[in-house]
Amino acid sequence: MPKIPIDKLEPGMKLSKPLVSRGGMVLLGDGTELTEKWIDRIQDMEVDGIYVDGPSEQKESKEESLAKLDARFLSVEKEPYMGRLKRIVRDYIEALYGEH
Amino acid sequence: MASIDIRTHRNKIENISALPTVPGTLKRISSIIEKPRLTLEELSHFVSNDPALASRVLKMINSAVYGFPGRISSVSHAIMLLGLNVVKGILLGTSIFEIMQKVMKGLWDHSLGCAIASRVIAEKLGLKYPEEVSVAGLLHDLGKVILILEYQENYDDSIRDATEKGIAISEAEKIHFQETHAAVGMWLSQKWRFPANLIDVMAFHHSPAAAKVAPLETAIVHFSDILVRARGIGFAGDPFVPAVNPVSFEMLRLSDGDIRDVLAEMEDSLEQPTDF
Ligand SMILES: [Fe+2]
Ligand SMILES: [Fe+2]
Repeated sequence: MPKIPIDKLEPGMKLSKPLVSRGGMVLLGDGTELTEKWIDRIQDMEVDGIYVDGPSEQKESKEESLAKLDARFLSVEKEPYMGRLKRIVRDYIEALYGEH
Repeated sequence: MASIDIRTHRNKIENISALPTVPGTLKRISSIIEKPRLTLEELSHFVSNDPALASRVLKMINSAVYGFPGRISSVSHAIMLLGLNVVKGILLGTSIFEIMQKVMKGLWDHSLGCAIASRVIAEKLGLKYPEEVSVAGLLHDLGKVILILEYQENYDDSIRDATEKGIAISEAEKIHFQETHAAVGMWLSQKWRFPANLIDVMAFHHSPAAAKVAPLETAIVHFSDILVRARGIGFAGDPFVPAVNPVSFEMLRLSDGDIRDVLAEMEDSLEQPTDF
């Protein structure tokens, strides 16, 4: 779930985390679908970004990311549970790139 | 190559306020948290009297790391809600943040990731005080900070050795210090009168089978440390994922979905500002 700067918000996006005011009040619950009106209100507030559903933008390519994963696990893959753990992390990383 | 027996330096390390490399904030924090019968009022007074410190502590408590976003507004409220030991730990956490930023930036992300993972797993297992486990995760590598500060050359050698020989940083520490950061962390957490559970985690997070007082909490932090490395978050002294202790892992009874949840929560929380 990426954090989107408030000037990039578009109607139809869904909040993946509640929007909380400085005083700790929940202003919009998670799952709220953004409308023009909400976006205007949010832009009036002092927040730097909003969490919305969807794949985050990744800093490195998927191939790089998976190659590094292989390197980190190289000497322990055969140890108990480590193959399973690697598979979970690999699936997780792949999902970040938008493949479900 | 430089090698010392760190065990002969135990007194020196425990007398942390006399170490020239240790910043003033940590010395002051150390002198208050080591008090034998530290009261809620004393701690609250100490933190509140230093507005910069108070705001850092509240910022960390209100961050995604602890899962109380924007809800705790005063130090005394925090102590009531989280307990003296958790606030002591967070206080230390903010001051080691300062040091890690200077000497080993990746260790802060490693520690934060571990704190988040530890809390989420503790919640999943229904532990009564997940924040205490989170603090244990945050502080688990505290020994490294002292070793880097005070014995920088030996520590640089350890890091280089670990990468070149393909061994874990704690193995390299054994070569250069005869003991590991886990022992150093244990000495300090004893000196700071932390609860027995936290001391156990500090001492045994790389050898969880040896934990006697808090095997479950130790298993949580042991696995969290591995999960943070598996995801490639931060830098803890070597680029490898260590093997999990199978007995500790089985103790946690985590499903694939549980582990995915922990990964997701770790990532989300770290995307938010983590500069305390
Ligand atoms: Fe460690
Ligand atoms: Fe660690």
